[in-house]
Amino acid sequence: MENKNRDKVLEVKNLKTYFFTEDGIVKAVDGVDFEVYQGETLGLVGESGCGKSVTAFSILKLLDYPGKTVEGQILFKEDDLLKKSEEQMRKIRGKEIAMIFQEPMTSLNPVFTIGFQIAESLKVHYKMSNLEARKKVIELLEKVGIPIPEQRVDEYPHQLSGGMRQRAMIAMALACDPVLLIADEPTTSLDVTIQAQILELMKTLLKQFNSSLIMITHDLGVIAEIADRIAVMYAGKIVEYTDTRSIFFSPLHPYTFGLLTSIPRLDMEMEKLESIPGVVPDPLHFPEGCKFHPRCGFATERCRKEEPSLLEIENGHIVRCWQVDRVREEAKKIAFTRRLAVVE
Amino acid sequence: MLSYIIRRLLILPLILLGVTFLIFCLFSLLSPMERLATYVNNPSVLKNPQAAQRLIDKYHLDDPFPAGYIHWLKSLLKLDLGWSATANQPVWEAIMQRLPATMELVLYSIIPVILVGIWLGVISAVHHNDLLDQTIRVTAIIGWSLPTFIFGLLILFIFYGILGWLPPGRLSTWAQYIVYTSESFKHFTHFITIDALLNGRLDIFWDALKHLIAPIITLSYISWAYLLRITRSSMLETLRKDYIRTARAKGVDEKTVIYQHARKNALIPVVTVAGMMIIGMLGGVVITETVFTYPGLGFWAASSAQQLDYGSVIGFALLFAFIMVIGNLIVDISYALIDPRVRLE
Repeated sequence: MENKNRDKVLEVKNLKTYFFTEDGIVKAVDGVDFEVYQGETLGLVGESGCGKSVTAFSILKLLDYPGKTVEGQILFKEDDLLKKSEEQMRKIRGKEIAMIFQEPMTSLNPVFTIGFQIAESLKVHYKMSNLEARKKVIELLEKVGIPIPEQRVDEYPHQLSGGMRQRAMIAMALACDPVLLIADEPTTSLDVTIQAQILELMKTLLKQFNSSLIMITHDLGVIAEIADRIAVMYAGKIVEYTDTRSIFFSPLHPYTFGLLTSIPRLDMEMEKLESIPGVVPDPLHFPEGCKFHPRCGFATERCRKEEPSLLEIENGHIVRCWQVDRVREEAKKIAFTRRLAVVE
Repeated sequence: MLSYIIRRLLILPLILLGVTFLIFCLFSLLSPMERLATYVNNPSVLKNPQAAQRLIDKYHLDDPFPAGYIHWLKSLLKLDLGWSATANQPVWEAIMQRLPATMELVLYSIIPVILVGIWLGVISAVHHNDLLDQTIRVTAIIGWSLPTFIFGLLILFIFYGILGWLPPGRLSTWAQYIVYTSESFKHFTHFITIDALLNGRLDIFWDALKHLIAPIITLSYISWAYLLRITRSSMLETLRKDYIRTARAKGVDEKTVIYQHARKNALIPVVTVAGMMIIGMLGGVVITETVFTYPGLGFWAASSAQQLDYGSVIGFALLFAFIMVIGNLIVDISYALIDPRVRLE
């Protein structure tokens, strides 16, 4: 694959993050591997509770109590972040790796102006003076498409609309020219029209800044729009990992397959809206064998007993499933146009 | 911001007018003769019907309600609040004479309560569930569950009755003699502790302080405990907010996260509570001053109420209502200072 020639920005190896609760150990992330290359966008997809946000917080070491990364390596520019002290991490957060959060209303501090909040990382990492930082903030606000930035810089989050707030969040994340951006469902709380604008903006800025992005979302439409490669997560593990095209055109894991067939379409006649039966399993009592088997239409006796491991089925297409061949056949039967339209 | 303050200031006279109206309503429940009693310093006048009638006319006590109210307001503006039989001096003078003692007690209680209460609340939240947090919380719960009059009597019993360290009253007799009769002792602020320092009398300062410690502790323990609990829970809640994580994700150090990003937000509910608490302290003043025979407004109000000295009680009620209204104004303004969302257009 072409990526092999590019620099690896981040490599996550066998990451395990557990939450030690009173009721037992919740294995939120249980052995996740992926890598992000220079300038590329990796999509991390899955239902809520599958561990995608926890993966992001593990990378920045911002886990809330009682979460703890118990095993693995997070190699950022070939340095293991898990071995770094809090002091060293602080120099990386916001400067090398920045994060865009889901809900711009609650993720911005209501009692400080957005100018102050964006300037903060500039002051922390570059020791900029107030005046310098202010100039740079106005520049950034302009870049993210906020009109009259000289005025907006002194406004509080509640004075901005949802889309504007998310633009301010993006400006905040880009302030120090980070190598890697992590966006945790950045468009989920926005209107569809605003969503498209924000995605467009992120794409433009990523090119401009030549940053890599980990895009965390449950929205396949968003991921099709922006990601180069996709890792599908289920119950704390990656179940399918390949380039965007393959995910949409030839999914090999029943979960991915189910997600794709459950996208409602207006341009096709559908008798009913497909869905994946059942719910995400209780993280305290994961099923034996393959964790997806109770909800899987392809499940066999083997799936119930034995957990499959991640295997490279085709060139660069990694899947965790015993029934790959049957899924491939089934995926072929479903009309191609269906998924094609999602991608284009 | 400025327009918000101006708007609040413009409403102030209206609220104060409402307050006086309510108090006058209560006042007019009394008969003209009873109301007259609040104006005369010599009770024998009341036995002479003609002299009494003359005074009733003079003070417009027999007028219809609206006219009576307006005359009463006029006399209020002239600071003529009647005669205090308990203090044996005009009500206004009685208030002004006792106000410094009470202010000294209240200010010395409020400042440590706010600073220490908030500080400990923040510490308690940051060290959530540590030994330090547990100790602070237990101390706070004890304070919160002890009524002022019981706690005050306990303090009096232990530190005066048994140990003899902290006497009741405001000054010892020898110090009183110097402070109130000596020409050389200048009264700059009428706060005895400060005046003593300004006069260079450390012995008097120490004596005044010894008298103040027990009432201050009594008055402030409950408020301190309350403020601490509010700050702690508000801080705990704030530390879980998304924007705290945003701040950390920017690489901001933990100290700035706690003392800047979190504390400013956590203080928003605390300001409201602190305002109410300070106003509630005025009630505590009556009990505390009575327990420690501390010659302030509260002690005077309690004895006038026992002696049906209406003039004093009304004067006291008016004063406290005014303080309450102004206190609320200060709370609202500090609220707007902290929370930009309150500064409505």
